[in-house]
Amino acid sequence: MEIEELHIDPVKIIENKKRKEFKLNLIKASLLDAFLIFYSVLVLQRIIYYKFILQLKDAPFTWGEIGLIALASLIAGFAWGYSRTSLSGKLLGVAKENSVTKWTVELFGWFLFNLTFIAGWVSTGVSIVDLFSSEGIQGAQRIFAALFNPELNIFDQSVFAIIETIYIALVATVLSIPITLILSFLSARNLMDDNAINMGIYYTLRVVLNFIRSIEPLIWAIIFSVWVGIGPYAGMIALLVHTIASNAKLYSEAIESIDAGPVEAIAATGANKIQIIWYAVVPQIILPFLSFTIYRWDINVRMATIIGMVGGGGIGTMLIQYQGLAKWNEVGLIVIMIALVVWLMDYISTKVRQAIY
Amino acid sequence: MLVKVEKLHKVYDNGTHALKGVSFEVQEGEFLVVIGLSGSGKSTLLRCINRLHEPTAGKVFFDDKDVTHVKGQELRELKKHIGMVFQQFNLIKRRSVLTNVITGRLGSLTTWQSITEKFPDDVVADAYKYLEMVGIADKAKVRADSLSGGQQQRVAIARSLMQDPKLLLADEPVASLDPATSNSVMQYFEKINKELGTTVICNLHFLSLVRRYATRVIALKHGEVVFQGDPSEISEEWFKAIYGDEAEEVEIR
Repeated sequence: MEIEELHIDPVKIIENKKRKEFKLNLIKASLLDAFLIFYSVLVLQRIIYYKFILQLKDAPFTWGEIGLIALASLIAGFAWGYSRTSLSGKLLGVAKENSVTKWTVELFGWFLFNLTFIAGWVSTGVSIVDLFSSEGIQGAQRIFAALFNPELNIFDQSVFAIIETIYIALVATVLSIPITLILSFLSARNLMDDNAINMGIYYTLRVVLNFIRSIEPLIWAIIFSVWVGIGPYAGMIALLVHTIASNAKLYSEAIESIDAGPVEAIAATGANKIQIIWYAVVPQIILPFLSFTIYRWDINVRMATIIGMVGGGGIGTMLIQYQGLAKWNEVGLIVIMIALVVWLMDYISTKVRQAIY
Repeated sequence: MLVKVEKLHKVYDNGTHALKGVSFEVQEGEFLVVIGLSGSGKSTLLRCINRLHEPTAGKVFFDDKDVTHVKGQELRELKKHIGMVFQQFNLIKRRSVLTNVITGRLGSLTTWQSITEKFPDDVVADAYKYLEMVGIADKAKVRADSLSGGQQQRVAIARSLMQDPKLLLADEPVASLDPATSNSVMQYFEKINKELGTTVICNLHFLSLVRRYATRVIALKHGEVVFQGDPSEISEEWFKAIYGDEAEEVEIR
């Protein structure tokens, strides 16, 4: 009998795997160290030194200088990483366990945290003076007075506008469901890890969805108001695109966290992939999916008001028009209407989601 | 020879070496019990036979056919002939008992029939027949998660019988059940073994159950076979060798 495969020594397989993993992690750790050093030096130079100490408006900038810092950081990072006492090494589990590691990790960690916070404070331009200047307070008083004295003449107009907003959100949410369903199965790791082609689809989808999701609906609305023209349609497509991308992630994470037992049991009966999904996956995810979708409708109503401001139609478009004319009493009414509807949607969606579970 | 395992190794992705050259044979009609501590490789062994897990090295023969690396349609065909029962029952909680039992036949149903859930009459009749056999036909329409542990395990047994299996694998089928229920569930396995002639490979913890139901025993320790033989041959010495010096036999009735 041919038993070639028996000569593979499994112990060697394990050792090889461990060695490769260690090498890879060491390189990763060094790169991360290099980046952290690069970041620290850059922040120290540009924000702390130029902006805070020298109070320069336009700090000098050359690519050569940045390149030099990057190169130095890279060398320092690899030197530190391969000494196996670095912060990233500790994070990735390749550092030696000794007092030098402990000391450097603690010191550098605190340094990074404080540096980032101070740089943030300086960059934000925090100023107590601006908040309490008499001129500023007067302006605020004028707007608040108008907001709390809403103009009721535009009530009927704003009701129609806010209904349009709710419809925009509703249509976007409903249209997103079938597309999201398909995409979420294709981007769930536990359903796609059985061969290389599926893993390729999985990674491609993840990247594309992450990209779409990282662009805010507001920006999508600007893009689509150029594409299909200003109005509710542009707002709806913008919400649709973003809803699909965000819910596909939520859905696929729900799929990834299902109980693997039924999947194993159905697979053991000789069922094919579609049968496994239908019987072992779908019954476990149907409630979370419903819950996410209703919650998303709630979010979309809120987003639709904002999207209106850049030409997405509905109440937001009305708001931005009156704001442009500095008619603060009208703005006051619209803001109150939005607050009411958002509160109502929030209440309804919470109740419905509680009823489902 | 129904099952033949030759120098089987399994190394998991995380580096765990679960099986270290396991070899044994199973004749048709046997009730083979696999014993060993948790982590000794019992579950892995069963899952390598019906290929829920991919063996790293070695060979698995089923019905004199090398099935170690079969794929696709051939693999599903293999799984169709091997039923499996799990410690956690692994039923579809929100569906009816009947639907759960019918899922055992999915390998023979078309994808369209499964998704529309229009099952042929003979499939439904078979489902009732096997529910009758495990004594819970009256629960056919209730949701699976409303049953007790012992009842759920009987549903799982009926589901595996729907496959009309040549081999039935049972991975610690009574480990989540109380002693009385354990015994009654084990009696169903005995019935299947004796009346239907189905070969059974079962992982168990309790020696009293082993002595009562097994026709042959193999013991695993750290992924290696340390004992093979008749259940009555497991002496105090063997027991300590398998379970460690600290172990003491507990009797369940």
